[in-house]
Amino acid sequence: MTKSDDLARIIIGCKNGDSECFSQLVDIYAGRCYGYFYRMTGNKEVSDDLLSELFVRVVEKIGSQKGGSFEGWLFKTASNIFYDYLRDKQRQKKLFELEGNQPEIKSAETERLEDDEIDKLQKQLKRLDMDTKELIMLRFYSELSFKEIAAMRSEPIGTTLSKLHRGLKKLRELMEQ
Amino acid sequence: MSNKNEENLKGLFEKFSDPAEAEKMTEDIRRGEEILRRHPAPQPADTLIVDIKAKVSQAALRQRKINLYRKLAYRMVAAAAVIIVLVSITTKLVEKNKPEKSVTASAGSKMIWDDTDLTTLTTEIEQAEEDILALNTDQNGNGYKETELTELEINVTEISSNFWKG
Repeated sequence: MTKSDDLARIIIGCKNGDSECFSQLVDIYAGRCYGYFYRMTGNKEVSDDLLSELFVRVVEKIGSQKGGSFEGWLFKTASNIFYDYLRDKQRQKKLFELEGNQPEIKSAETERLEDDEIDKLQKQLKRLDMDTKELIMLRFYSELSFKEIAAMRSEPIGTTLSKLHRGLKKLRELMEQ
Repeated sequence: MSNKNEENLKGLFEKFSDPAEAEKMTEDIRRGEEILRRHPAPQPADTLIVDIKAKVSQAALRQRKINLYRKLAYRMVAAAAVIIVLVSITTKLVEKNKPEKSVTASAGSKMIWDDTDLTTLTTEIEQAEEDILALNTDQNGNGYKETELTELEINVTEISSNFWKG
């Protein structure tokens, strides 16, 4: 049995509500999805929550996954969860400001400790715009082809290629500084 | 599934730029992705994976119940649809049969009580009665035979019984 046959069997099992198949799905994709969330948020705790939310949503929505690449569907769901989190964060920030509270100011020591925890790549990724960063991470962690990524983002393949090329080139320059 | 490892990146870039430029762009992407490989993201903790599996198992159980109720609801809707169709067909059949019966009944009564026949018979009876009366009157004066009177009475009786027979 090939790897893709195995995956197809697991997905069918998941669609039939088999808990063991869901467990196998977690084993296969947790690492890659966690990597995507961590690189997008730069925060382990948030990534933990988003990863849990992703798999619970997979259980609830896997019945709607018909045809196409499963990984494309999975990472599209992950992307939606990330943007939901981002919107929620923005709302909370606005609410906090409306209530007249001062945003939490991190001490220099706290910032230094946080910076020690995250690697150089994570620091440089913060300097890229959100769309480019997401495209790079989708390509790297989903392992989808450009054609699939372009379809997922509803944009022409030429646009996806050009954005990714520019983004990775800039990242390399930032990392070499 | 065509993943990025099976993709001909240079061929893809050549569709949008000249071969030299495509070569350079492919190399930029390769080197950029090499940086990502050299800086792997942390892996999820084992405790997190255990926790997720427990949540997923609970969610799967919940989802199975939801699916079961959904299937049950669909079946009930289907059964209700079948019942509605059957009832409507039966009602139509009953309605179709009802007018036929009333038509038969009215046709029957029409056969028994036809207006033209009734008028004819009434006229004949009246005529016969008048004849009897005339004969009785004449018997006293002109001396008609008794047999003629009996014949007339027989005729009246016959007409009367025909009338009641229909």
